[in-house]
Amino acid sequence: MDAISMSRVWREPARLMVFLGVMLIAPSAWALDVPPLTGRVVDLAHVLPADVAAALTRDLEAHEMKTSNQVAVLILPSLEGEPLESFSHRVGTTWKLGQKGTDNGVLLLLALRERKVRIEVGYGLEGTLTDLRSAHIIRQEIVPRFRSGDLPGGIAAGVQAILGTIEGTYKADEVLSGHARSGQEPTAFEYVIIGIIVGTLAGIVLSHGLQGTRALLGSLLAFLVAQFASVVLGLAAAGVTAFLLWLILQANRGRGQGGGWGEGFMTGPGGGFGGSIGGGGGFSGGGGDFGGGGASGDW
Amino acid sequence: MGSRISVFATIAITVLLVGLSGCGYNDLQGLDENTKAAWSEVVNQYQRRADLIPNLVVTVKGYAAHEKDTLEGVVQARAQATGIQVTPETLKDPAAFEQFQKAQAGLTSALGRLIAIAENYPNLKADQNFRDLQSQLEGTENRIAVARKRYIEKVAEYNKGVRYFPTNLTAKFLLHMEEKPNFTVADEKAVGKPPEVKFN
Repeated sequence: MDAISMSRVWREPARLMVFLGVMLIAPSAWALDVPPLTGRVVDLAHVLPADVAAALTRDLEAHEMKTSNQVAVLILPSLEGEPLESFSHRVGTTWKLGQKGTDNGVLLLLALRERKVRIEVGYGLEGTLTDLRSAHIIRQEIVPRFRSGDLPGGIAAGVQAILGTIEGTYKADEVLSGHARSGQEPTAFEYVIIGIIVGTLAGIVLSHGLQGTRALLGSLLAFLVAQFASVVLGLAAAGVTAFLLWLILQANRGRGQGGGWGEGFMTGPGGGFGGSIGGGGGFSGGGGDFGGGGASGDW
Repeated sequence: MGSRISVFATIAITVLLVGLSGCGYNDLQGLDENTKAAWSEVVNQYQRRADLIPNLVVTVKGYAAHEKDTLEGVVQARAQATGIQVTPETLKDPAAFEQFQKAQAGLTSALGRLIAIAENYPNLKADQNFRDLQSQLEGTENRIAVARKRYIEKVAEYNKGVRYFPTNLTAKFLLHMEEKPNFTVADEKAVGKPPEVKFN
């Protein structure tokens, strides 16, 4: 078989592979990406005057300070053929509006070309900002103003109605102190650090007694601690620890007992703990989840 | 010499631990729990929809009493859908799962017909009560879509755990777990498109 017919033989399977690859990728390749969360009011269609946007942002921020509810507004030029409801849900869950655990986020989404509007409500606010209440806000506050050409007025009125509805549901100090009390789950990184520290400590303590087996025991301890995070990370921690201890062992062989390096090593990553609640000046989602509650409308 | 032994011992212990935790006993149990939780949400939302129907039927009757076939179709489909009790345990049975899906799909299409006839009755369309019920129904259909999507994801994760090596050994010989049936893409398309509502 010469080279040309050979390539012909392979062309069809290759084409099939490409086709299958596209088929597999297709469902995850969305027509419209979720825009980055640049603030509480993301106006990609530039319909809000700067002062209105600033006033809205202030109101939304004050509302979060008081209630911990996270409300955001997204104005799109177009949905690019994406269904309103699924896109809106995708934005809400990607931005993670609302606090973790209370899921008290709301998204007001507008698509100008499609003339569609949706209020997407997080799990924790479905009881107060019901589908019905959302539909009423759209029908009574937003749509009439939009129809008369007043987009900024409709958005502002919609936001005020949303804030008024969810005002009393949560109190910020209760929600956020609840977070502090329950304590955030240590991250995988922290588990690895803990694993390494415990492993090193154990190794050093044991080094005075059992010369040959300390690396083994250290790595075992590290593994057990890190096991809480995950198998892979635990293994990584154990492996790294075992390797480091082995290195120390080798080094010690020449120099006798050397504890100084171990101490210096431990003080390094020790400060990297502590959860991070809230940010500095920027706005970021608090980890809330959405279950498809809310209402849609058009104008 | 001593250090060489300790290196070998470390490797041996590591391999042993991989073997132990790689069997995925806890992971499989967790995945199973996740599917059950996701399933409860699906059932909840379907129940919510069923609860809205009596009011909706009464409201439509007030304006379009002679649309008997459509109204009765909805009542019957609701009775059929609520008559099937699917618990997490019976979820393992593909036949029962199929039956549940069919009944709910039947209710979806019966409701679609009911909403469609409203187009012929301007007074019904303008009725505040009807519009409110329609908004709630639309919201519920959307929640059903979300709940189903999440269930599909959870079952996919679980099924992977049951099929992939080496957790499939634990699943098969230790936990006696089997793959769970999932919603199919065909009816996902039907459910994925929420009913259109216009505020005129």
